[in-house]
Amino acid sequence: MLQYIIKRLFQGIPLLIILSLALFLLMMNLGDPIATMGGRTLTRPEDRERLMRQLGLDKPIAVQYLYWLIGNTWTKIDSDGDGIPDKNGTRLGILRGDFGTSLVTRKPVTEMIGERIPNTLILMVASEIVTIVFALVLGIYSALRQYSTLDNILTALLFIGYSMPVFFISLMSMYIFAVLFKKWGWPYLPTVGMFDPQVGKTSAQVLWHMVLPVISLSVIYFAAYSRYIRSTMLEVLSQDYIRTAKSKGLPRRQVVYVHALKNAALPIVTVIGLDLPFLLGGAVVTERIFAWPGMGRLFLDHLSRADISVVMGILMLVATAVVIFQIITDIIYAWLDPRIRYN
Amino acid sequence: MKRNLNILLSLVVLAGMILTACGGAAATQAPSSNATEEPSTSATEAPAPTEAPAENKVATFIWTQEFTTLSPLYASGWFTTTTQQFWNCWAWLYDETNTPFPSLVTEIPSLENGGISEDGLTITMHLRDDIKWSDNEPITSEDFRFTWAMTVDPKNTVNSTYPYDKVSAIETPDPQTVVMKFDAPFAAWLILWKGIAPAHILQPVYDADGTLDNADWNNNPTVGCGSYNFAEWESGSFARFVRNDNFYDEPAKINEIFIRFVPDDTSQTNALVAGDADLGLFVPYSETPKLKEAGVTIMTEPSGYNESWFFQVSEEFSHPAMLDVNVRKAIAMSIDFASFDRDVNLDVVKVPGSFWDSLPFYNDPAVQPYPYDPEAAKALLDAAGWIDSNGDGTRDKDGVEFVIQHGTTTREVRQELQAVAQQQLAEVGIKLEILNYDPDIFFGSYSDGAPVYTGELDIQEWSDAPAFPDPDIYYWLCSEIPSAENPSGSNSFYICDEELDALLQLQATQLDPAQRQETISKINQIFHDKVYWIGAWQDPDVWAVGSRLSGVKFSGVSPFFNITEWDIK
Amino acid sequence: MTTASSLPVPQLADDLSTPSLTLWQLGWLRFRRHKMALFGGVVLILLFIFSFGGAFIYTEKYANFNDTSQRLLSPSAEHPFGTDSIGRDILARTIYGGQISLFIGFVAVLIETVLGILVGALAGFYGGAVDAILMRITEALLNIPTIFLLLVMAKFFGGKIPDIHIGERAFSGSVVVIVVIIGATSWMYLARIVRAEFLSWKEREFILAARATGTSNLEIIFYHILPNTFAPIIVSSTLSVANAILSESYISFLGLGVQEPTATWGNMLDKSAKYLDTSPWLWFFPGMLILLTTLGINFLGDGLRDALDPRSRTV
Repeated sequence: MLQYIIKRLFQGIPLLIILSLALFLLMMNLGDPIATMGGRTLTRPEDRERLMRQLGLDKPIAVQYLYWLIGNTWTKIDSDGDGIPDKNGTRLGILRGDFGTSLVTRKPVTEMIGERIPNTLILMVASEIVTIVFALVLGIYSALRQYSTLDNILTALLFIGYSMPVFFISLMSMYIFAVLFKKWGWPYLPTVGMFDPQVGKTSAQVLWHMVLPVISLSVIYFAAYSRYIRSTMLEVLSQDYIRTAKSKGLPRRQVVYVHALKNAALPIVTVIGLDLPFLLGGAVVTERIFAWPGMGRLFLDHLSRADISVVMGILMLVATAVVIFQIITDIIYAWLDPRIRYN
Repeated sequence: MKRNLNILLSLVVLAGMILTACGGAAATQAPSSNATEEPSTSATEAPAPTEAPAENKVATFIWTQEFTTLSPLYASGWFTTTTQQFWNCWAWLYDETNTPFPSLVTEIPSLENGGISEDGLTITMHLRDDIKWSDNEPITSEDFRFTWAMTVDPKNTVNSTYPYDKVSAIETPDPQTVVMKFDAPFAAWLILWKGIAPAHILQPVYDADGTLDNADWNNNPTVGCGSYNFAEWESGSFARFVRNDNFYDEPAKINEIFIRFVPDDTSQTNALVAGDADLGLFVPYSETPKLKEAGVTIMTEPSGYNESWFFQVSEEFSHPAMLDVNVRKAIAMSIDFASFDRDVNLDVVKVPGSFWDSLPFYNDPAVQPYPYDPEAAKALLDAAGWIDSNGDGTRDKDGVEFVIQHGTTTREVRQELQAVAQQQLAEVGIKLEILNYDPDIFFGSYSDGAPVYTGELDIQEWSDAPAFPDPDIYYWLCSEIPSAENPSGSNSFYICDEELDALLQLQATQLDPAQRQETISKINQIFHDKVYWIGAWQDPDVWAVGSRLSGVKFSGVSPFFNITEWDIK
Repeated sequence: MTTASSLPVPQLADDLSTPSLTLWQLGWLRFRRHKMALFGGVVLILLFIFSFGGAFIYTEKYANFNDTSQRLLSPSAEHPFGTDSIGRDILARTIYGGQISLFIGFVAVLIETVLGILVGALAGFYGGAVDAILMRITEALLNIPTIFLLLVMAKFFGGKIPDIHIGERAFSGSVVVIVVIIGATSWMYLARIVRAEFLSWKEREFILAARATGTSNLEIIFYHILPNTFAPIIVSSTLSVANAILSESYISFLGLGVQEPTATWGNMLDKSAKYLDTSPWLWFFPGMLILLTTLGINFLGDGLRDALDPRSRTV
């Protein structure tokens, strides 16, 4: 098992490096990070030259990539603009844990991401829990009561939920629960940010502000998951060993939850496990609509300013998380299913 | 049977949504009441916004763009420089008429009081002796020298060394005197000293690190010299400033300023309408009626900016028609900017006739914008030889079709203007191709192949200003034309007009306002006569002031100049 | 007493046997029974008629005609869907926007299907190093959330492709960009499915037989194995159209999609966010159209999946 893990990790590393190279090349044509540094007017020409040099943007792509990967402490850079390299650089490179500094805010990228990760995680974990709970309930119910009236109603509703663009759900829920409710004088849900500044960042505030974004995010996911759970459960319920359990006279509850669900859990766990790391990316569209200060918004804001360091930092973080989670999921899968053994 | 039920139910749900939309469509815009809206399930006992206890007055401002840093050295964006007015200090501020008045200095240097030398190469400032930082350290000339030295120091990655790079040296004969030396007269010297850095805090940091780039003070300015002190900043959410009780002038009335960051104008409007915020900025004109109905006051303050159409006039790059000044006049007369401003910008602003529209001193007599006169435009085009000889709806001459390109960013109101302009130009037989780019691509550099520099854009649009309140401009200088040898040139219009060039260079050196006014008036006239520039709409700062605030005045240069007088009713 | 042998033997077996059905005929029979799928199909046909047929009622010139004094009018007899922020008729814009949105959906899927089949077939058939490399690339792309990849690529290609003129009409170059990037970021799922199919099919005896008779590899891939994999490919592609249309609307909503003046349902929704409460008709109609399209496709795809499932032979 340990051998397997190590082998997978080794396979993952070249993958990440190739990915980083491809992404870095894409970054080069994203636009000019210096373009908007002049504020409301164009960046002045003298400043542009100086900034290019100071931010290391005047070097060829290959060199920029190298510095990003392994830093520049081993080489001299021109720190005072006279054209002669004099001092050693201070960057460590991403392989040594230095994600670089943002071209826009000059703050370390790790700090900027670190500020936003908790916000994204709160939102996404809550959405995931809501999704899983609802999907399980609906999926199992649908499987047990296949083709009943309620099943059909739910299927139709889920199809609709599954087909809507996420921002349509957000806009509609904003319209109903915030705009209309307010108009009718009912207590209404907030639509901006994580908390009300007058009140402060209390748990109650955050929870209250989370309702609309979580609704938007979960609808699509639990629509998809519940269908998947339903079909998995149906497949499992038609197996011989379930028929055996029923004919043995075991109580319904035990048959479903102990025998059927345990076996259905495998593919469900796989799907959830593989989706988890994508939570880190945040939900770009939802965060933008609700002004939620998460990773998705950070990505969007800095992509539009061509801030290479931050964008690469986020992408590589998510990619690494995906690789790690894939390995973890495989291990859990093997642990749950005694038929699988990795050599 | 069961499947039919599915279909029926789908239709029912869809019908439900249609009804929802109908219910909304028929509704009017006015919010029902000013009832306080704390959610009933909230566990905390929060005071409702309209009933803040009198002891702790908190004003909430909405920023649609988060500042990237708080440091005056690394400041660039407007939100960044403006926020500094709370906790940092300027040498002189500007009142609501944009006239400078002394703040840190005893009086503004001039030729009369000897502050400016005869040859214009030395400017002396006398500082007040009662000014101090929030930690009680006095503000001295050393702070000024330090600010200048750090800005021009190549080890600091500041966004712009301008205007400090015009100062060749600073002498500090005593703690209250700052002597600035120049190599050449710098007419726009008033734009210096918008914020200073504390030498006693940052000099040790510089000595230790060799640079100020990573100084903690940049994002966490524990020491300031303004009427408020920085308290905290949570990225993506908010920032807080509390009153500086050590302030050397009259302390502010409002205890705390809370700045909230929102992603777009819609959220800003919602917050203002709901009464969750007291101040908003750069409110789109289309939102103004909704705000006014909610009791919010809209104040516009000229800040020098005008939404501008810049014409590219270059033999090498431009469409041949664009080289003819009468053709450019025809274009100016084919577009009904006035109606657009009335309908889409809701009549909040007018069409500016001059680049110096917000500086009446330099726009006297005021140049008038070209009238909307498609018939006259057609006549001019006919006379210039551009006729539709092949009946395809577009004029042509010598086998060249009159097809030109217009480029700007992706901002919605600009795209709307482009669509309207395209239609109106089509009516006079000119085909306008529309191009849009993200701002960081559009405003990129010549070496990056930014669209404005490739020569493919016959008309370029963005909002720009002179160095307000100084009338200085530099884009149209011949020396600013970019090329492989001069990649950082900013003359994306490729205009090299000798008369204009001479006047532009002259005005930058004229310290005497009367002489300068004369020069700028000539430039103003050239812009109009040769149609190098036309205005689409004035672009003042549009402030939305909530009903709780009183005593609020704005300046186009230093918007929060009287923030100590603001109060909450 | 009569014996069985003196009576004529009825030809029951031959007379009563049903003709054997191909997979396609079987699929069609089962599909017809699937009411939801038929409903989905009908909805899609209606939407096509709306978008492409509507062009005969409203000219494109009318769709682009703006008059700022007529802005933001609510639905009325003259403008059944209302007008937008510069006075353009929304019904006409949704017709032309629909053409682009549907076009993007189908062409992106075409690209995606071709890429997915190529990669999956080669990886599954050849195995070994080819498989390893292709699968690493596939995995690498799958490791990035699609929306991030779309955003980065949209920014990368932004503004680089000039307007396209076909006949009388002009299309923003960004349509090509969007089609390409959606196609280029969603082929991975199909590649995996095709690869799995190829892995299982290539071990069958008839393939061994084909090899034994000297059939070239390419012929085996495209004429022998591939036709057997059409069923899952069709299902996957159908569902991908919905995904492509949704992706286009997401990128447009974030401002990086198709640029003005070309309208799509997605960028119409983007412009409507500002007027959420004052002019709900701006977002309602394009949003509903997207919803109906994806709903129809999902019903259709669901039905196809049930109908073409080769393991189930019931009618």
